[in-house]
Amino acid sequence: MTLTLVRLAFAGLRSRLLATTLTVLLAGAAAGTLVLVLEVRDTGRDPWERTFAAAHGAHVLADLPTGEAAEALRSLDGVTESGEPQPQATLQLGTGTRDEPLLVAGLSGTPAVNRPIATSGTAEPGAGVVLERSLARVLGLEVGSRVVLSGPGGEEEIDVVGTAILPSQSRFPRSNPGVAWVERPVLERLQPDRSAWRWIEALRLGAPGSARAVADVVVRGAPPGTVSTATWQEQRDLALQEAAPLQLILSMYTVMLLAVVFAVVGVLVGARVLEQTREIGLLKAVGLTPRQVTAVFVIESAVLGLVAIVLGYAAGAALAPDLAGAMAETMVGAPTTAANPAHLVVAGVPVLLVLVVSTWVAARRRTRMSVFNALQSGRAMPPRRSLLTRAARALPVGVPLHVGVRTFLAGRARAVLVTAAIALTGSAVVFALSMQAALDDRPAGEPSDVPAELPALVYSLDAVLLVVALTSLVAIALLSVRERLRDFGILKAVGLTPRQVASTLVSPFAVLAGVAGIVSVPVGLGLFVVVYSVSGGEGDPVLAPWAWLVLVPVGTVLLVLLATSVPARVATRSPVAQALRID
Amino acid sequence: MTALLEARGLSRTYDTGGAPVPALDGVDLAIERGEFVVVIGPSGCGKSTLLNLLAGLDRPSAGEVWLDGTRVDQLSETALARLRRRRLGFVFQFFNLLPTLTASENVELPLLLAGRRRRQARRTAHRMLDDLGIGDRADAAPSQLSGGQQQRVALARALANQPDLVMGDEPTGSLDSTSAGEVLGLMRAAHARGQTLLLATHDARVAAAADRVVTMRDGRVTRERAMQPSRPVTLPFDPDPA
Repeated sequence: MTLTLVRLAFAGLRSRLLATTLTVLLAGAAAGTLVLVLEVRDTGRDPWERTFAAAHGAHVLADLPTGEAAEALRSLDGVTESGEPQPQATLQLGTGTRDEPLLVAGLSGTPAVNRPIATSGTAEPGAGVVLERSLARVLGLEVGSRVVLSGPGGEEEIDVVGTAILPSQSRFPRSNPGVAWVERPVLERLQPDRSAWRWIEALRLGAPGSARAVADVVVRGAPPGTVSTATWQEQRDLALQEAAPLQLILSMYTVMLLAVVFAVVGVLVGARVLEQTREIGLLKAVGLTPRQVTAVFVIESAVLGLVAIVLGYAAGAALAPDLAGAMAETMVGAPTTAANPAHLVVAGVPVLLVLVVSTWVAARRRTRMSVFNALQSGRAMPPRRSLLTRAARALPVGVPLHVGVRTFLAGRARAVLVTAAIALTGSAVVFALSMQAALDDRPAGEPSDVPAELPALVYSLDAVLLVVALTSLVAIALLSVRERLRDFGILKAVGLTPRQVASTLVSPFAVLAGVAGIVSVPVGLGLFVVVYSVSGGEGDPVLAPWAWLVLVPVGTVLLVLLATSVPARVATRSPVAQALRID
Repeated sequence: MTALLEARGLSRTYDTGGAPVPALDGVDLAIERGEFVVVIGPSGCGKSTLLNLLAGLDRPSAGEVWLDGTRVDQLSETALARLRRRRLGFVFQFFNLLPTLTASENVELPLLLAGRRRRQARRTAHRMLDDLGIGDRADAAPSQLSGGQQQRVALARALANQPDLVMGDEPTGSLDSTSAGEVLGLMRAAHARGQTLLLATHDARVAAAADRVVTMRDGRVTRERAMQPSRPVTLPFDPDPA
């Protein structure tokens, strides 16, 4: 029997190729975005660990007030290796066009632990200075550039001899001031006051898992507030924080995409089950129990969901390394695909659940009715009396819009889901416009901690949402055409012109798009304000100018008109006599 | 009398993917203004196809259709829609009411299309439904009405703009005998007001009420027979309760 149910399910999928393909694409997009969020973080770990190994990184990094205190840490229990205490002082870096405070370390040879890794030139400063790579990039400096280092002891014009990275250093300007390395005598000349120095001690442990405990011992052994530490886990988290805004935005878009997809899937599943009331009756007539009929539909949805999840997983895992590029700026090598199989499960479960549960609920109700009642319940009715229907009826609009709106209101759940899907997509566009306005508002030449990938990411996600929403609209409009082909025949028989018939389909979508477009403006602005404050934005956020925002409802209506005009043409093509024969 | 509606050598062949199926084969027919003509014949003889072509609901494979001096079969879909709106009322066997509109709204539709104001259209629709004896069901959904009630609404919709020509494809075919008698009475009342009627039917009572009966077989007109002048119309309800 199970084999029979599976065969019936596959026959159903083959007979509705458009709906099948669309469901897979939509569910795949949702699963893919979920996987992307999960993968971005994991993907970044790989290059960080390679960087840590190459730098012979410190399991515990301590920042102390004196060299003696730093030296004392080298004999702590559990420490297996340590470098010479390294002095640091804050100096001023002049590039000719701007001055930046700079944390300068004075090296006495190559550090044994937590040594800078050269990414261009050399990591050994000699008579010059080595700059941390992200700092050099932001300031537009490269090997051979000449800069001025100044401090209380004077100033020196000095050559940039290399750029380097460290696993304990996150990207400039998120980590500000930036870091540079010189020979110790240079530091001593520029900052002769040793009381202004800090000392860095890099420790490696026999048991890296005990890093937190060792760090606690270091802090407890010093006067309060004089020592700070960073375990290797904290260094990693700090480095990976680059991805925090990306992850926040990815998460927000994932929620929006999921909501849009689930709204559309809800419409598609509901319409499919409604359309299949006759098939349900036939299956019951040949001897299938209600439970078995429900199982056929659930198997269909589950198969679609599984295919969608696999496709989404592959796409999400493949895109993750590109999006993780920002945090890799302070690391060795480019991120590689982590492709954690657990993410397949985490992303797959909600997508599969929504598909299966919505199908089960819709099918179960209909399979428990008698065939007669099932057919009756699938019959269209005028909208229930309400303030909305009375208002719609009182509006001085033409016959096509009046008929179209009445029909849309008759299927209120679908109208609400479609409006919600359009509104969410519109708010994503408002969010992107606000982000662009905020970026445009920055003073020219100022360093920014906004990852370079962020605008591209937001626009890509907007494009995905727009494509998903527009494809869904075309599908829902086609579905409406198929459901109402007979009605269109009646309208033509009564005297509506083809243009008016098309208008009965397009105009209610345009009205919904207008409403959704207007709603999307405050929702999108609200989302931007929340994301801005959660991701650490300072001051009042800059919002998109009103001139841009006005374009959102207008653009929404135009795009929806475009998306529904092709199905509307289909609606007008069918000859009246043929349309009236459709049962 | 002059011919209001005329078919000249009208043919229609359906292409169903296999061999072409001829449904109508060179039909010539003229309907005079004010006439009540009934087309009868066995199922599949081409009655519905003929009415669809005459009403501009379908396009002929060959031949011509003329309505009051206008060649209908060459009109664009838009022009056809305008013509139907002004000149034609059509009643179907299965009513074909719009399921998402109430009974009253279904009747208002052609009135609004003809340019009436909404309030005026509503008043007219309610009056017509009252006249047809279903005024109390004006706000009901089509699915909440019986077959006879639905056909009365469909008839009200067809007559709303007082078209020159009212066509019906088996208008009593889905009704019980009481409802069928009532609907026939209403159509005869329209004819008595001067409207031209063309009905396709299997119902002998309908045929008996006509001025002329056209018999079809295998897509051709095989016989035309003039009937006795119509007997006085007996309405199934009081048309003027006042």
